[in-house]
Amino acid sequence: MNPIKLALTYLRIGVLNEMQYRINFFIQLLQSFISVATGLIGLSLVFGQVETLAGWSRPELLAVMGVHLLMGGVIRSIIQPNMERLMDDVRNGTLDFALTKPADAQILVSVREFRFWQLVDVIVGIVVISIAFIQLNGTLGILQFFGFLSALIMGGIMLYSVWLMVTSISFWVIRVQEISNLFEGLYAAGRWPVGIYPSWLRTGLTFLVPVAFAVTIPAEALTNRLTGTSLLIALGMTLLFVVLSRGLWRLGLSNYSGASS
Amino acid sequence: MTPTISVSNLSKHYKVPERDGGMKAAVISLFNRKYRTVKAVDDVSFNIEAGEVVGFLGPNGAGKTTTLKVLSGLLHPTSGMVNVLGYEPTKRSHDYLRQVALVMGNRNQLSWDLPAIDSFELQRAIYSIPLNEFKKTRDDFIDLLELKDLVNKPIRNLSLGERMKMEIVGALLHRPKVLFLDEPTIGLDVTMQRRIRTFIKEYNQRWGATVLLTSHYMADVEALCKRVIVIHHGHTLFDGELNQLVTQFSSFKTLGVTLPDPEIDLSQYGEVLTRDGARVTLRVPKAKTSQVTANLLSDLQVDDLTVEDTPIDDVIDSVFTSTKEAK
Repeated sequence: MNPIKLALTYLRIGVLNEMQYRINFFIQLLQSFISVATGLIGLSLVFGQVETLAGWSRPELLAVMGVHLLMGGVIRSIIQPNMERLMDDVRNGTLDFALTKPADAQILVSVREFRFWQLVDVIVGIVVISIAFIQLNGTLGILQFFGFLSALIMGGIMLYSVWLMVTSISFWVIRVQEISNLFEGLYAAGRWPVGIYPSWLRTGLTFLVPVAFAVTIPAEALTNRLTGTSLLIALGMTLLFVVLSRGLWRLGLSNYSGASS
Repeated sequence: MTPTISVSNLSKHYKVPERDGGMKAAVISLFNRKYRTVKAVDDVSFNIEAGEVVGFLGPNGAGKTTTLKVLSGLLHPTSGMVNVLGYEPTKRSHDYLRQVALVMGNRNQLSWDLPAIDSFELQRAIYSIPLNEFKKTRDDFIDLLELKDLVNKPIRNLSLGERMKMEIVGALLHRPKVLFLDEPTIGLDVTMQRRIRTFIKEYNQRWGATVLLTSHYMADVEALCKRVIVIHHGHTLFDGELNQLVTQFSSFKTLGVTLPDPEIDLSQYGEVLTRDGARVTLRVPKAKTSQVTANLLSDLQVDDLTVEDTPIDDVIDSVFTSTKEAK
């Protein structure tokens, strides 16, 4: 099995299938619009009081918001649906089917679901980032662009790994549905740069739920704040999260015996 | 020739937490948890040759599903050796998994929202089935099971039986050499059961596949399996030909007698099972059957008389009850 080919097949069929439900597109568009509007209101409230927030100017914070939207779209279109299906499979014993396939089980359970219309958030996120960038009168060098892109990809991988770890807990405790709500709540904190939070929360948002790496660092790359050091730390963290999540997943699998028939 | 499936001294024990009912016991169990070992499968051995269709029988909780799960690589045996097609299933090597299929009648693998035809495409990607072979197999199966008008509908819009047929197609697209079927006809109506049975038989004959099947419907077993393995409480009770099971475990025959006078008492001839107007059924020891028949015919005026083997369901039932009593 070629994992990329497998993922693309799932993607293609997911897209074809979701195309039938055009109404979801409009609902999603409305949702994105609402989250952009509330985000903008929040920004204007803040900048009604102060000139900068923890060293971030208004267009810079707009960039943070854009990255937050974009990453949120990635989570809701790929990561969350797959992990929720995995939880259901563990509870219903249907994970047996995934485990009897000649494919790497972790890859298989991570590519099966795809919510196409959630990608609207990704598009809207890119638009917001572009507007912020224009307001900053910035120029995007090649190096800066790749810094941004790699920070984004690493952030996505870290978020996926954390989700996988949390979901793997369902091998032991079966009922972890509430965890996805908790995760959403924590992710919402990433709308602002993590630097504005008290240090205990900042640590949590950096190392427990890596919102800092997923949102703040890519935004730093866009606004010329990114240092090579933090990119290296991000790389190290990504590798660590990938290894840890794979380990926990395997441990969980060995504990799984399937819901008894 | 080495057997396709070989199981020797297989045991699978589970450690399950145990507590009494009530709040106090629940709190105690948080700190001092007691475990009990459940021997789901205990020292089971059998061999199955290529192309055989074997029925795996036993009441609920006998260890059938556990055995199937060990064979398909989902569970690690506590002890014992398992070998299928020369592979150790627990290693879950891709080469092994590509040659087997697990179908569970009470669980679905096809995506609820997708039309079956799309799910089949996903199976193709997972098993890397060459396109031509895939199309041919798929269309053959669709014809055989008469699914042509249904493959484009989302699975959720299909009836239980239609869904099960789709499940079977999806599970066999990669033409596995070994099938593990766990109650594939559960909950289906008689016609649908028969259709699925015919299909399994056809698949077995056409591809020479080895099939291990569990079912609570004896009709499935009678139609498909020459050989059965009966397990109970994790132990093998019987392994042999189906008709031998009847000979070995049923020492009775059933006589059906129709008399013009419904008042006559027949209890001196055998154990009266039912009495429905003029029709009486009697249970008679097998060795005495001919003598009792002769006596009946000479003593009484009999309108009709039939001699039947005990129905297989009753045989199985008596096998399980007798071992329970023996315990």
